[in-house]
Amino acid sequence: MVSLLRSEWYKLRKSKIVYILLVGPVVGLIIGIFTNIDMLPLEMNQWVGTLMMMNLTYALLFLPLITGVLAGMICKYEHDAGGWKQLLALPVTRGKVFVAKYFLLMLLILAIQVFYLVSLLGIGFAKGFTDTFPIEVVWKSILGGWVATLPLASLQLWMSMMFKSFAASFSVNVIFTLPTIVIVNSERFGPYYPWAQPFSMMYLSGDTNDIFFVPWDHLLTVVGGSFIAFFVAGFIYFQRKAV
Amino acid sequence: MISKLVQTEFMKLRRKGIWFLTFLGPFGVVALQMVNYGLRKDWFISQGTYEWFYYVRNVSAFTPFALILGIVILTSFMASIESETKAWKQVMALPVTKWSVYIAKYTTLVALLMIACLLLVIFTLCFGLYLGFDGNVPYLDIIKYSYYPFIAALPVLGLQLWLATVSQNQGLPITLGVLGVILSYMAYFLPDWMIWKWPSLDNAWDEPLVNVGLGLAVGLGIYLIGMIDFIRRDVK
Repeated sequence: MVSLLRSEWYKLRKSKIVYILLVGPVVGLIIGIFTNIDMLPLEMNQWVGTLMMMNLTYALLFLPLITGVLAGMICKYEHDAGGWKQLLALPVTRGKVFVAKYFLLMLLILAIQVFYLVSLLGIGFAKGFTDTFPIEVVWKSILGGWVATLPLASLQLWMSMMFKSFAASFSVNVIFTLPTIVIVNSERFGPYYPWAQPFSMMYLSGDTNDIFFVPWDHLLTVVGGSFIAFFVAGFIYFQRKAV
Repeated sequence: MISKLVQTEFMKLRRKGIWFLTFLGPFGVVALQMVNYGLRKDWFISQGTYEWFYYVRNVSAFTPFALILGIVILTSFMASIESETKAWKQVMALPVTKWSVYIAKYTTLVALLMIACLLLVIFTLCFGLYLGFDGNVPYLDIIKYSYYPFIAALPVLGLQLWLATVSQNQGLPITLGVLGVILSYMAYFLPDWMIWKWPSLDNAWDEPLVNVGLGLAVGLGIYLIGMIDFIRRDVK
């Protein structure tokens, strides 16, 4: 398992994935620069206000979409020039390959989230925020967004393994992500739509009693449930995939 | 020669789900309004905005995202037909010039997007009629708000096609596309010179035709630059 992960790392190391990872903070910076927090109430913490404005776009569209791009990237080597045959001819089980790829994908998303946090810090220092940095709230948001991409990443990994074409798996991603703009406003459907979860889990609310911004049981049912469904389906698909 | 090449492009597109996506884009944009009006019909009536005028603008609020994502997906599809199977060499070995291949790809994309815009006109009209607003049907307005964003998005189309055809790795053009969608989502905050703002038809002069004119001019420019770069590159 460790050697599988190491081989995945070798494949990625010289690829252009770093540029894609850096798009995360760039998006954060763009949003942070173009939006001003003057319209927020004065008594609000500057960091919290900025992060709220940034999350509006970042968590709603960027995070779900980039998850799909990253999933496509880590399957590219295998789709090109019969790589699946070579990889699976090694003494590894298909299950382990799937888990290794998934693990790598989640690691990349975590990296994007951390870069995003760095861009928040950058904006804060550039604008000279004087409020105390609400570390607990910010971590909750960053990690919450990461946890919310667990099911999305498993669906996208499945789609990326299935379709050779980057555009095909990406269109599946778009078809599910775009409606979020409307669904997130609905109190009835918003909480149950997996693609709206990154937004609701990154959304900063006053309630800090739970571990994340979303109640624990709700997190388990919606995020956990869709994660299990997509992961198991993708896992079974990969077991039966003709290479 | 060009028409033959365009025909072959359409042939290559068959059974790849492209036509489905061309239908789904405009349908999705109107479907979001179906949800919107289904949930908040009373709110619109109470605000006094239950009219054709506001309805057409509500529909066009989602057009830029669907358009840009559609462009990203279609350009990547069109380029990956050749790059996936390493078929660029085969295409170029035919007695065709490189620029005509590029023009054929571009023409095919424009045709597909124009069809999508036509579908958008039809869907907007049908759902509007179903909602039964008072007053005359603003046919011209609907056509304008369906086609203007497309013309204003021509620079994005030129840029994405250029990147998609010269990239070995389709992850890069798609990432740029994601960035473009994010920018168009924040169009309101962006300065007027950014091409991703243009499909929103919003500008300092409050005149959509500025974006349309800019879209045509800059779109043509990027298209030519992309074509020249494509011609000068080595076929891989």
